[in-house]
Amino acid sequence: MIAIFLTWLIVAVGALSCIYMLFCAWSRFPRRDFDDVVHFLYPVDLALAESLLDPAAEFEFRWKLSRQEFRQAQRKRMRLYLELVRRMSHNSKVLVEFGNAEANCHDPRSVELARALQQKAVEVRFYSVLTLVKLSVWMWFAPNDHGHSATMPRLRKAGDLDGLQSYHALKVAAAAAFLHLGPGELEMLTQNL
Amino acid sequence: MFVLWYIPLCLLVVLAFVLVHQRAYRSCPWFFAYVVFGVAADIARFAVQKHRSAYFATYWITDAGYAVLGVLVMYEVFRTVLRPITRAWWVRLAFPAILLGSIGLSVARNQASAAQLGGRLMLCIVVVETAVRFVQVLIFAGLVTLVPILGLRWRQYSFGVATGFGLYSTVALLATTKFSDFGTRFTFLWSVMSVVAYSLAVLIWIWFFSVPQKAETPGPMDSAPSPGELERYKDVLRRMR
Repeated sequence: MIAIFLTWLIVAVGALSCIYMLFCAWSRFPRRDFDDVVHFLYPVDLALAESLLDPAAEFEFRWKLSRQEFRQAQRKRMRLYLELVRRMSHNSKVLVEFGNAEANCHDPRSVELARALQQKAVEVRFYSVLTLVKLSVWMWFAPNDHGHSATMPRLRKAGDLDGLQSYHALKVAAAAAFLHLGPGELEMLTQNL
Repeated sequence: MFVLWYIPLCLLVVLAFVLVHQRAYRSCPWFFAYVVFGVAADIARFAVQKHRSAYFATYWITDAGYAVLGVLVMYEVFRTVLRPITRAWWVRLAFPAILLGSIGLSVARNQASAAQLGGRLMLCIVVVETAVRFVQVLIFAGLVTLVPILGLRWRQYSFGVATGFGLYSTVALLATTKFSDFGTRFTFLWSVMSVVAYSLAVLIWIWFFSVPQKAETPGPMDSAPSPGELERYKDVLRRMR
């Protein structure tokens, strides 16, 4: 009985996936080009993210604050990091879409740079998705205030990827891909990323 | 009606030519092997169709070959898509876990029909074949899920291979499930559906492979920036820190 139920479930999942692929093939959503990138990015403060993930800073909080205070401070820090990761996730999605669109252009150098950018953006997106899930679970199930299961430095890595390093690599790849923009736009790109 | 059974063979020959033309055997060697095997297997079945016992043996041997190559192709697809993203240990365990789960589910599903199948060997082939169908649908669904989540480009060879197998396996699983539910009344209809689904799958593969996929590593001359660009790049990096 369970086997039949699971078979039907897999058939349903397969059918839905076929419908989604059909939708991808038929939809003609406008592709993201250079004009649709710079203004769509949210700034991410990597120095702030670095300080939130610093084990020494967390140790200091645990040492100085009472249980109740630490619990409150930790939730605030988590919420702040959640926001930063959301921005990282959004920016990487914008850049993945741009990389996908540029992968079809005729200039081999642009294709190469777009592919490198897309690769880094997918890595950041993968890290962000895993970290968002992890952080949401921690926040929903109220972390043990002095336990070690919900320590912020553990969020630095997800899926074998160092989030902040990957994001920095994404910024470098974006700078290379958008080098031909005007000085003002390039400045805005580096600020917004 | 007789003609319908040979449409997939003709389409597979066209697909083999497309794969050779696009040099896709470099990026998808196991899929190329699968297509060549498919052409050879269909020709072999056609050649011995008038000899009952020879056809029986050829059918089941080639069926086992399809199953083994089906798994290898899905592993190739899985590795091609996920390897550039992460090398986490749990991702490496995902494929064996899906394979083992599918075999378990297939054994549980085919237990009821074990008595109806001729021999032990044939039962094993049917179990493996059903497990391969589960693997193909699950890998296809998993990859499709990654398209909106990670923003992966769906128009690439790996997704084309997965889509063709996903479509065919979904119909094949539906056909076998309905067939066991309703007896032999739907035999003809479902077998026609199966051939049509396989033909559609081969058409999907032809469509995906008809567009060349750009090489991953362009030549060194293509990637060399001018000195002016290099200076600007260094300047941007300095400001980023």
